Amino acid sequence: MSTYLTFRILKGAFVVVLISVLTFVIMRLMPGDPVYMLLGEGQIPITDAQIEAIRAMWGLDRPLHEQYIVWAGNLLRGDFGQSLIRAGVPVRQMIFEAIPVTALLNLYAMLLAIAVAVPFGIAAAVRRNSWVDYASNIFSALGIATPNFWLALMLIVVFALYVPQWFGDLPLVGRIPPFGLRSWQGWILPVIVIATEEMAVLMRITRGAVLELLPQDFVRTARSKGLAERAVLYRHVVSNTLLPVITVIGFRIAFILSGTIIVENVFALPGIGRLFVDSVLRLDYQVVQSLVVVFALLVVVVNLLTDLVYALVDPRIRIS
Amino acid sequence: MSDTKLSRLLHKPISRRQFLRYSVASGIGLYVGASSMSAWAQGSQGGTLTWLGHQEVAGLGPNDIGPDVQAAVIFNILNPLVHVDYMAVTQPVLAREFEVAADGLSYTFRLHEGVMFHDGSEFTAEDVKYTYETYAQPGNTVASRFDGMREVEVVDRYTARVHMDSVNASFLRSACEVPIVPAAYHESVGVDGFRTAPIGTGAFTLSQWRPAEFTELVAFPEHFRGAPSLDRLRLEVVPEPSVRYIALLTGDADATVWPLAVEDSLELMDDPRFKVIATNWNSPRFIPLNNEVPQLSDRRVRQAMMFALDRQRILDDLESGLGVVATSHLAPHNPFYNPNVPLYPFDPERARSVLDEAGWVEGADGIRSRDGLRLAFTCTTISGDQTRRPMAELSQIFLRAVGVEMQLAEAPVASILQGLREGTLEASLFNWTHGSITDPSPTSTLQSGGGDNFTRYNNPEMDRLIEEGLSVVDDELRRPIYNRTQELYAEDMPALLLHYNQGLNVFADTMVGVPDDMLMALPVFFDGHRYSRG
Repeated sequence: MSTYLTFRILKGAFVVVLISVLTFVIMRLMPGDPVYMLLGEGQIPITDAQIEAIRAMWGLDRPLHEQYIVWAGNLLRGDFGQSLIRAGVPVRQMIFEAIPVTALLNLYAMLLAIAVAVPFGIAAAVRRNSWVDYASNIFSALGIATPNFWLALMLIVVFALYVPQWFGDLPLVGRIPPFGLRSWQGWILPVIVIATEEMAVLMRITRGAVLELLPQDFVRTARSKGLAERAVLYRHVVSNTLLPVITVIGFRIAFILSGTIIVENVFALPGIGRLFVDSVLRLDYQVVQSLVVVFALLVVVVNLLTDLVYALVDPRIRIS
Repeated sequence: MSDTKLSRLLHKPISRRQFLRYSVASGIGLYVGASSMSAWAQGSQGGTLTWLGHQEVAGLGPNDIGPDVQAAVIFNILNPLVHVDYMAVTQPVLAREFEVAADGLSYTFRLHEGVMFHDGSEFTAEDVKYTYETYAQPGNTVASRFDGMREVEVVDRYTARVHMDSVNASFLRSACEVPIVPAAYHESVGVDGFRTAPIGTGAFTLSQWRPAEFTELVAFPEHFRGAPSLDRLRLEVVPEPSVRYIALLTGDADATVWPLAVEDSLELMDDPRFKVIATNWNSPRFIPLNNEVPQLSDRRVRQAMMFALDRQRILDDLESGLGVVATSHLAPHNPFYNPNVPLYPFDPERARSVLDEAGWVEGADGIRSRDGLRLAFTCTTISGDQTRRPMAELSQIFLRAVGVEMQLAEAPVASILQGLREGTLEASLFNWTHGSITDPSPTSTLQSGGGDNFTRYNNPEMDRLIEEGLSVVDDELRRPIYNRTQELYAEDMPALLLHYNQGLNVFADTMVGVPDDMLMALPVFFDGHRYSRG
């Protein structure tokens, strides 16, 4: 076990270093100069000498390998450097301010998705070809096919604009704002948008997993022992569907960044996805590089944890 | 929306006489406003106004005044000596009055007395000296505004004199808009520290700054122009234009610093809860052509392409008619605009005859060539730019009709700017300022070797005119120089000018005190102390 863990950790560390080098090189290969991002569309004329002075101030005039070693060295000491565009603000602070927004958004969405999708997925499999099954299939197909962007705008139009106009404040919920997190109600729509896609995927996977398990020998044995159908389902079938569900949850964490970019943009949420896109567009090297390393680390750790959790959930899997 | 309302907004040319009248009117307005706040603010006392921006407020120091969204916040915290108001009139702010030496080599500013910074220290000429000499240092994004400045002399506690090494005609409207910082505090926190915790003489102090989310300011009751009516000003960052539109409808915002989508603004024109005011952009929408590429280096080719483009149709079909066909590198509302330049009406026959005269012969595929060189080039538009890409497509059809092949490609904006600056791209399509109301000189865009000379335009006469224009401070003496730069531009046509867009600026009726007419919308947001909540 310890040999396996050491091997996985070393492999993970190698992957993170490799990704950090690649990101560093790709960012530098990208055309353009972050200095121009400060100037607007020609509102501030600037001379080449002044551009060079700003580049020197940022350390961009030094050789590439030197820039990388300085940055990586600082990173190892926990210093993510300072943002080029948001000068004076440490990158670590920017990331730590954005992470809770994205993490909570995904946590709430995942909890909502599990709470809805797992029971419906099981019900759809158990009552195959019933209206529950058809409804879950239609929802899954629509949930996966509907673009986040469109769904988000539609929800804003309906719940922030028309519902208050026609019916006033919603009972219990009150008023839903069109953007931002000024109140707890601000979480409702973005969580629903992210959860819709999660639900669609999870519902389909749960249904498939249960359908696969129902004809298995151990289920027949459980039934032949005289167990009630409910006990067969909850004690034997549902516990065995956990494995694919955990796989999906682990897999989805790797997609947090890409999955929330659009939602954060539409609802004006200051999360990690928006920070990433804004930083790429403005060529804010320090922020992009640090974010990619943080996410590479996150994916490596989550993958490792997912494998370890497999062994806990399913005794047939042995880590070796 | 009624046609009359639209046409009233669209066809609003401004003559010089009107401009002067507006200038005088706005001057009187400001004087009256300064002496009696009630003339502007007729709403209730207190409350919060919420404005919407599209991008984060990355910093709050003098170096950050470039992006509009940041300027809207910064100029409510910090004040400059003078600023150019929404009617393009230069107004004193922290300076009580100013005097420009006849030779343009010194500027004397007599300052308001008893003006307090937010930290309780008094604003004096020492702060002017410190600010200008600090931000003129290389490494600051506003440093180029101080070109030609030698030093700032503190004549007495309330008088500062700027001495110039060389005349810089744009100094007053450009450098003097850089806001003043308190010397002692700034020295202790440095340029970067100040960006995150600014202290100024503005009508509002910084309360909360969450760059990607919102910036909140609270009223500064000791403000030298009188305590603001509002308790708070808030700028929310909402990148998605449709959501900004909905936020105005739901009452979650009172105005948007960055425009809405055109169709959304037009919807609001008929809504009595909103005031929608049209203003022209400073930057032309244009197709910069690399003048060093052999097939584009002949100015007759560029002139022919101008005749080939039905620019009014591009404006009507793709911009809902909101704008004016461009004839100059300066916008029609610019005081230095020259309407008497060679014009290029839509005339495909003339385009063909110009190309025939220049020796470009149509081949079997309909594309012209000369000495084996095809009259073809690639126009690279900004990736994902759904507004301007269709204009390139329509232009492509017009040019194809006269035998010019314009192929289309896409690339990120940073890649395009770098490609044009290095001369590796042939053409693109975007907007860029070639001299604004604050500074009519096209220094970086049309001077050979200029940092933003995307066309690689090189005409010694233009270089000389630009130098001359900057060496004269009297506007009336500068006018003939810029008249000639515009004629020269229209003769050489280094780029294909399309049009000047018209922005529709939306203010909810909850923002009381918004002027009914304006040439520029951004400065309206610098005057948070004038507004109240209705």
